[in-house]
Amino acid sequence: MTKIGLEIHCQLTKLESKLFCSCKADYRGFEPNTNICPVCVGLPGSLPRLNKKAIEKATIIAMALNCQTPSKIAFFRKNYFYPDLPKNFQITQLNIYGPTSIGQEGKISVEGKEIRIRRIQLEEDPGRLIYEGSSERTQITLVDYNRAGTPLVEIVTEPDFENPKQVRLFLNILSDLLENLGVSDPSLEGAMRADANVSIEGGSKVEIKNINSFYDLEKALHFELTRQQSLAERKIEIIQETRHWDDRRKITISARSKEGEEDYRYFLEGDIPWVMIAPQVISRLKKEMPESISSKRERYIKDYDIPAQVADVLSSDKFYSDLFEHAHNEKNAKEVANLITTDLMGFVDTKEKRKESMLTAKHLSDLANSIIENKITRNSSKTVLQTIVKTGKSVSQIISELDLGHVSDEKELARVIDEIIKEETKAVEEAKQKPETINYLVGKVMKKTKGKADAALTLNLLKKKLSEY
Amino acid sequence: MNLSISALEYIDAIKNGDFTIEEFTSKTLDHIKKIDGKLHAYLSLNEKVLDQAKELDKKRKAKEKIGSCIGMPVAIKDNICVKDTKTTCASKMLEKYVAPFDATVIARLRKQDALFIGKTNLDEFAMGTTTEFSAYGPSKNPWNPEYVPGGSSGGSAVAVSALESITSLGSDTGGSVRNPASFCSIVGLKPTYGLVSRYGLISYANSIEQIGPMARTVKDVAFLLNIISGIDPNDNTTIDNHGEDYLKDIDVGIDGKKIGIISEMVGKGTDKEVSSATKKALSKFEDLGAKCEEISIDMVDYSVASYYTITSTEAGSNLARYDNLRYGFDFDLEGYEFNSYIAKTRKNFGPEVTRRLIIGGFVPSAGHTGRYFLKALKVKSRLTKEINSAFKKVDFLVAPTVPILPFKFGEKIDDPVAMFLIDFNTVTANLTGKPAISVPFEISNGLPIGIQIIADSMQEKLLFQAAYALESTTNLPKVPL
Amino acid sequence: MVSKEEIEHVAKLMKIELDDHTVHIERVQKMIEYFDILDKAATESEELIVKEQPLENLREDKYEPYKDKLIDKLKHYKEKFVRAPKMV
Repeated sequence: MTKIGLEIHCQLTKLESKLFCSCKADYRGFEPNTNICPVCVGLPGSLPRLNKKAIEKATIIAMALNCQTPSKIAFFRKNYFYPDLPKNFQITQLNIYGPTSIGQEGKISVEGKEIRIRRIQLEEDPGRLIYEGSSERTQITLVDYNRAGTPLVEIVTEPDFENPKQVRLFLNILSDLLENLGVSDPSLEGAMRADANVSIEGGSKVEIKNINSFYDLEKALHFELTRQQSLAERKIEIIQETRHWDDRRKITISARSKEGEEDYRYFLEGDIPWVMIAPQVISRLKKEMPESISSKRERYIKDYDIPAQVADVLSSDKFYSDLFEHAHNEKNAKEVANLITTDLMGFVDTKEKRKESMLTAKHLSDLANSIIENKITRNSSKTVLQTIVKTGKSVSQIISELDLGHVSDEKELARVIDEIIKEETKAVEEAKQKPETINYLVGKVMKKTKGKADAALTLNLLKKKLSEY
Repeated sequence: MNLSISALEYIDAIKNGDFTIEEFTSKTLDHIKKIDGKLHAYLSLNEKVLDQAKELDKKRKAKEKIGSCIGMPVAIKDNICVKDTKTTCASKMLEKYVAPFDATVIARLRKQDALFIGKTNLDEFAMGTTTEFSAYGPSKNPWNPEYVPGGSSGGSAVAVSALESITSLGSDTGGSVRNPASFCSIVGLKPTYGLVSRYGLISYANSIEQIGPMARTVKDVAFLLNIISGIDPNDNTTIDNHGEDYLKDIDVGIDGKKIGIISEMVGKGTDKEVSSATKKALSKFEDLGAKCEEISIDMVDYSVASYYTITSTEAGSNLARYDNLRYGFDFDLEGYEFNSYIAKTRKNFGPEVTRRLIIGGFVPSAGHTGRYFLKALKVKSRLTKEINSAFKKVDFLVAPTVPILPFKFGEKIDDPVAMFLIDFNTVTANLTGKPAISVPFEISNGLPIGIQIIADSMQEKLLFQAAYALESTTNLPKVPL
Repeated sequence: MVSKEEIEHVAKLMKIELDDHTVHIERVQKMIEYFDILDKAATESEELIVKEQPLENLREDKYEPYKDKLIDKLKHYKEKFVRAPKMV
């Protein structure tokens, strides 16, 4: 049976400061080595100062993944040499003296399959290596420590995944969950990374490292499974090893077992006393926790009669579910949800567009109400939305400026219909013989009224008129 | 104007107008110039100190507010960061390192207008008991320059003992403040773990070490502790002492107090002169109204092994950052590959540091952890429980600071286990986090003997009272300069 | 007892090039042998005493840029980076 396990590293990008110092947690956009201080560069005499919110956010993640959270947590040192690691040790968490990392033994469901979470730990990200020069011979290795000390949550799963598709679904669920909790923005480059371990029936476990994106992860898993299956078919032993994903050639290559020789000499970090997390803290965090995606989904369906598919899409997008919360009331909830998922999400999709959009919750609410009150057709709502996003003008202003008022006045409509009947004599003849072609005439009425005509009313009036004819 | 005055006397004298800060500083510098070539207490001197003294005199004249130290000189062990000053840890690995920030203790002293005369010598990275392991040559004991001054804070002890500074700061991981204080006949305190911030102390064994004040009188040490102690947000391991004043009531005496003499620390291995001095100290304590009894603390016999196992492990990790990539000394990396560059660079550690790093890699390594490192931690815990029980029976624990008299250079340097055992009486206080002080008690054939007093956690006030009381029974000769 | 090979292996792990093998190795062996005394200490059931702090003690999550341009005070390459030897 195929077994896949994951080690996911997720940056807590929503924190203000790093894990052990007050430099900025989100290092993106800084000139090299300008987001550093004596602590995150590990200068002699510097000491770590643990970030309280990091503990709280990590605890929330642990709770959202149904983990047990211990009442006392500790930090350890993982000792190894690498230029991106300024102290040549990483402060991380382990469970060698009993459960001391931020969460253990959790679970999450992926399409009915339960994935067990072995543990969750807090640790610091190292800096970044940059290479200057193209030729491998003359290349210069440079280090930028801006990222060193960024808070990371590592989530380790049991090897419960049976195929790469489950892995992909899980990662999507996890991304949405983390975004929904307000702890991280997974869309930021490098904010979420994953390593994997893979084994097939009768073979040893193979670790795959150096995977830079979730897209690459799926590719790597497919490649590795194929590689292992082909070895098994030829009755060649699959040895236990660590392999690196080669992004250029899209293959995994053996990492020359340097990993096996590594001895991290783990021991307690003496500069950070064990942190006691009182039960009152846990209850406070539970209360402060944002509503879960599944809970939102259930509520949308139950309380507002929103269709399941719409509820799925809306609940798993934090930006839009937040917008929905502010925009809706009991009467217009369904319409607001519809506007968001049918129209808005389509053209305000990217992060930049969301940032630049001038649309507010009030706009949405006003628009939904206008549709419900028949002041405007649903057909025109897309135009209105686009204008709001671009200009931020009020709904009523846009309706009058673009002359989108709903034509539901029967007399007005009748007048327009008469005009169309006069103009489209051929179509009228057709419609009398083949009633289904009446929609062409309805379309013409819509065009003439610039989409403002009430469609249902138009159809009825047209039918009546034609029968009189 | 006598260079042998105490800190409190100095402050009174300045306030009295007996002399200016500049005059005293200048005389100190002249004295250093005369004798430090021989004694080598200092690794570097503060070039600007005379200007800084003049500035302070100006401020005083203008009746501006001035800190409580009023220009009193403090010599600083060279493993404590002083901003924009070379901080070498007496190692070639940090030959060119200039600290970009002040240690918290330095910032606090600066605020009180202390003057930093210079950085003092130590065993490399604070690993040693004689300063023989300094990469820049040892310091000499002013009582007899053929003898070691103790270590690792040897330079700080010599500076104070030889009147090259009124006070100094050292660091104590296994006895490194108390041991040289005893060998040089001055007072040295290792505070409760967490009482003094370690921010800016270059780590050797961070779960055990403390910065310690050193001076010629108990009151001076208490005066310094008032300034440098207290909770620091830059050091998560510090404890709040609620602004305790250690000078207040320091002379109340110890009438009625109970004293336990640790039997494991006066047994075999103790020089007979040290033994007899200890007996004398006990009778002095009884004269002062205290009751003395023998107390056995089993785990003391394993304390040295536990200490060196734990500290080597921490040192192995704390010194890993010295790869010469971000700071250190001049050694061009062109043409080298990573592993070979790092290994070659780290050859610049001295022999003792190298040995401790290897041990520090060995004892916590997979396969050996349970036997050595974990075992050592358990001994540490058990020792702490035993000493806590002891403090339920007595107020203080007493033992000679060092079981042996100061010895000549080169005598022990080739025997690593003999070097270990010099710390036999001092590591217990470090492993258990308890405050301990060494008080100069006797000069035996020209060689100093100090008595160590240990109190329960955060009981420095009590500790100073006992130390002051013992000090007042002594009448020691002047250092033969 | 600890073997010469083990000591050499550890030295590599600690990234220290050992020049004069014998002097160091003999002394290190003696030092580690001294630790054998720990075997005699009766501490099997001993629980580790650890230092603790309440969550409230910890630092508030605030961004405060470091006031100095630190890279200027470190070894730097083109004033922006730290340089590392060639990674193999």
